[in-house]
Amino acid sequence: MWGQYSYGLLVVLVAGVIAFFALAIETDDLHRFLLLDLVEITALGVIALLGTDLAEALILPGLTVGIAEQLALSQIYLTKERILQNPVKGLNIEVIAKADAPLIISMFLVVYGLLLSGFTGGGVAGLGLVFFFMSRGYREDLNLLEMASGISWALWIFAFFCFMFLPQFWFIALMCAAVGIVLKVTVKMSLVGTMWGNGND
Amino acid sequence: MTNLAGVPYYVLEFGDELVYFTPYTITLFLLALTFTLFVLISRPERQVDIAFGGDAYTTKVISVSEMRFRRFMAIACGLASMGAMVTGDIFNFTLFTAMVGITNVGIVAAVKSPHVQNAAYQYGLVALSATVPLFAGAAIYAAATGSLSMIELATGLLPAVPFVAKAFLVLGVIGEGMAPFYAAKAEMFRAPGAPYVIMCSLSSLLIFLRVIEVVMLG
Repeated sequence: MWGQYSYGLLVVLVAGVIAFFALAIETDDLHRFLLLDLVEITALGVIALLGTDLAEALILPGLTVGIAEQLALSQIYLTKERILQNPVKGLNIEVIAKADAPLIISMFLVVYGLLLSGFTGGGVAGLGLVFFFMSRGYREDLNLLEMASGISWALWIFAFFCFMFLPQFWFIALMCAAVGIVLKVTVKMSLVGTMWGNGND
Repeated sequence: MTNLAGVPYYVLEFGDELVYFTPYTITLFLLALTFTLFVLISRPERQVDIAFGGDAYTTKVISVSEMRFRRFMAIACGLASMGAMVTGDIFNFTLFTAMVGITNVGIVAAVKSPHVQNAAYQYGLVALSATVPLFAGAAIYAAATGSLSMIELATGLLPAVPFVAKAFLVLGVIGEGMAPFYAAKAEMFRAPGAPYVIMCSLSSLLIFLRVIEVVMLG
């Protein structure tokens, strides 16, 4: 067990050294930013090597912190290079906008995601909505989506308190957490889908 | 429990997660709390530019939206520092440290000066890459000892923590707190607004002081 872990650790650390080397010799700011994404993955690799359910619980916050830093840095890059003014267009592909295929694919993904439930299900369902909104150039009032996101988050937190203080009702808490997180992740990802274009500010 | 920077006054347990106050950590916690309250109530300083050769001077204008954003980031930074001071879990410590790094970037990034923006971007690159050794260190802690709880590590009953895990943890904190990169930090301090910018320094100092305690465990 310890031997396997050591070999895995060696492989990940070598990958990390390669990624850092690339980072060190790259001089363009945007390319360095993209390489950092690769560097970040090696950190998740080290955590994943634990191979227990603890690893899964630790990867999630690690990933979230990494994404938060990358979002912040990308905003700074946009301001720094003064490219905030450029309007961003959605996927203006005529065939996708007219055909039924995006609707069918996204419906399939949403239904499958709801069946999966939990974090993974939210990701799959959210991906379906993102694809739909992006292909149709959909405009919607974001306040409603944000409210749904907030309520589902409150449900999730309520489930956590239920786990801590009323452990005998663990099944209700589990269901609340699963439904809360599936709604939360779906809504968050569909918000990303509607953020394309310039009409929402 | 004696090498834990003093005997804990109080341990709050949430299953595996725990929070404890020792004489050492409560001092650091109160420092972070006091400074966060200062940030909450104080108004930003207006940077003064003096024209050489005369007695003319100008003060820079800070817009309300910029002030609000930086104050929010400084308070978030204070909260993250407080969390890093009192947590008894290695992984939570690394998460709070990473959050201190993000908010430090945020405090200066609201300023629209190109120098400051550039410095904040470079600092952000270092802070982001520092999460690799930081999280890797915490993961190796868990792999080698089977526990992330500092109280359990301090009992001395667990296997010894490998040196590489401690080195990674310190390296990660150096990256987030930017100790050896004072050139970039000095550039960041050209950003006006005294109480907020000082929060960057204070939070890095605090996480350095805490990581010393953390690596002495186990």
